[in-house]
Amino acid sequence: MIEFLTIPGVILIVGALVLPLIPEKLRPSVFLLFPIAALFMVFTRPDGFSVTTELLNYELVLMQVDSLSRVFGIIFAITAFVAGVYAYHMKELGQQSNALLYAGSALGVTFAGDLLTLIIYWELMAVSSTWLIWARRTKESDGAGMRYLIYHVLGGGLLLAGILWHLATTGSLAVETIAQEYSIANVLMLLGVCVNAAVIPLHTWLADAYPKATITGAVFMSAFTTKSAVYVLIRMFPGWEVLIWFGAAMAIYGVLYAVICKDIREILAYHIISQVGFMVCGIGIGTEMALNGATAHAYSHILYKSLLFMGTGAVLYAAGTSKMIHLGGLFKKMPYTFGLYMVGALSISGIPLFNGFISKGMTISAAGYVGNEAAMLLLLAASVGTWLSVGLKLPYYTWFDKTDNDIELKKLPVNMYIAMGIAAFACIFYGLFPGALYAYLPFEVDYQPYTIYHLVEVMQITLLTFLGFWLLKKKMAPELITALDVDWFYRKAAPATRLIFVQKVDAFYDRVEDGILATAGYLTKKFRNPMLWLNPFTDEKNEASNYSPAMDVVMSFILLGFLVFALIYFI
Amino acid sequence: MKKIHWIILGVLFVITLGFEFTTLADYDSHWWNAIPAFYAIFGFVCCVAIVYVAKFIAKNIVNRDINYYD
Repeated sequence: MIEFLTIPGVILIVGALVLPLIPEKLRPSVFLLFPIAALFMVFTRPDGFSVTTELLNYELVLMQVDSLSRVFGIIFAITAFVAGVYAYHMKELGQQSNALLYAGSALGVTFAGDLLTLIIYWELMAVSSTWLIWARRTKESDGAGMRYLIYHVLGGGLLLAGILWHLATTGSLAVETIAQEYSIANVLMLLGVCVNAAVIPLHTWLADAYPKATITGAVFMSAFTTKSAVYVLIRMFPGWEVLIWFGAAMAIYGVLYAVICKDIREILAYHIISQVGFMVCGIGIGTEMALNGATAHAYSHILYKSLLFMGTGAVLYAAGTSKMIHLGGLFKKMPYTFGLYMVGALSISGIPLFNGFISKGMTISAAGYVGNEAAMLLLLAASVGTWLSVGLKLPYYTWFDKTDNDIELKKLPVNMYIAMGIAAFACIFYGLFPGALYAYLPFEVDYQPYTIYHLVEVMQITLLTFLGFWLLKKKMAPELITALDVDWFYRKAAPATRLIFVQKVDAFYDRVEDGILATAGYLTKKFRNPMLWLNPFTDEKNEASNYSPAMDVVMSFILLGFLVFALIYFI
Repeated sequence: MKKIHWIILGVLFVITLGFEFTTLADYDSHWWNAIPAFYAIFGFVCCVAIVYVAKFIAKNIVNRDINYYD
């Protein structure tokens, strides 16, 4: 039992249950203790450590540690802590509790040794994160949260169906590598995981919901859902070739939309899709170096993406809007936020000395080493788009462009700066000392990021992209628009779907009901006195004395006829 | 952008070119290594292409009024 409580995911989930009992003033501080305890447990559990229990006839592996789960566990616990610091000023119990539950479920997925345990955490993750969207309490977030929940219930359902099918055919519940074979069970599981990894065209929940989540909630969300799915892909589907092309397509798709979008948090949301594309592509390549690259990139990505969401969240907090058209010229008023944001922006763009450089290069080089030059060039093109939109367009139109902005700014709480500072420090630290990350990767690392070739490549791309941006920046100027995505099909189809599946069915039932009632009424009326229509000569009261004399004569003849007939027959 | 910024960027670019033509002359793992300053050209062309393709998609397919879904 005690061992059960030392599972990192369980620690955070217990924390989510304990938080409501803590006085409001202490709650943000107590919040931070749980990720620290979880991090301690992740670090101290050796490879091969496991916690098991029996449920019915199945042996459930509640926790299983190896190098891959550890590296994801470390970064999830760190992010839960950093995001907790960022949300220190926020006193809303529902958000605090659900954020811990969400982080705990992500950690639970990371250490789950069997598929049943995994799916339970998987669903918990969907439910708890939905709260972080709804907690914004706007009309948009209500709708987006519902669409997000439905999407994830669908994804979870696909995964569960795949797991059950897999169990029925193989008898195994272990979370293990699955050979590339397109059986129904495998495809269902892959689709379920791809929903959470935001693989196009199953990505729209992300770009729809993340920009509408609460300021602090988005920081948690940017880290857990997609990256826990990346973890499961690395664990179960390494080397599935289809992932190479879906990954590369995601990388390009994300940056194109990032150029189109005009809301700073929407740009970042599309960039998650693009960056996860790098990881998915690496997983599809499936070599040790590529899987190392995908893992390292997930680790780096969580750090810089949470930093970017914290930076844009700070702008939204201060200015009250995340629409670029209302921003601009904020540099004088928010210089520190700009500086911290730029650390994240330089990291995501893979600029040397920042942590994106040491992980992105690894994935791209892995594509080159297996001779897949097309994938390599696509990923390089996506890097150009990343620098262009997150590194140049977003900061330019948020902090510069206008000389000043008379928008009234709210003062930022100190804890926001501290959280951004921690994340920025980590981005630079890993950029300077890649070995600190490489030591924790699942396979031995034989890769040197700081080579002259690599530096020349990145610097040339970066400098000339900057030139391109400067010449064409007017083309990306802010406007007030909604950019349609494939969610159009279900958002615009919603009235049609409602018409066919709800209103038409309703109308049909109404008509059937009316018909049944009318028939019942008619029959009741008719059967009140069946003699009225069985015997047309009778009257309403059906009394014999009222028969007419003519009727008497007719009846008498009939009876006489019967009598005569009977007599003849028997004699 | 002041003049000095452009000069710094220009100098950096020249340095990368210097390294490319001195240190990496024998590097030939990909076909594009034969093209001088390939990554610079690639970066610029991709940047322009992304901007124009995105602009095209935005203008012709995806851009709608901000209250489109309301």
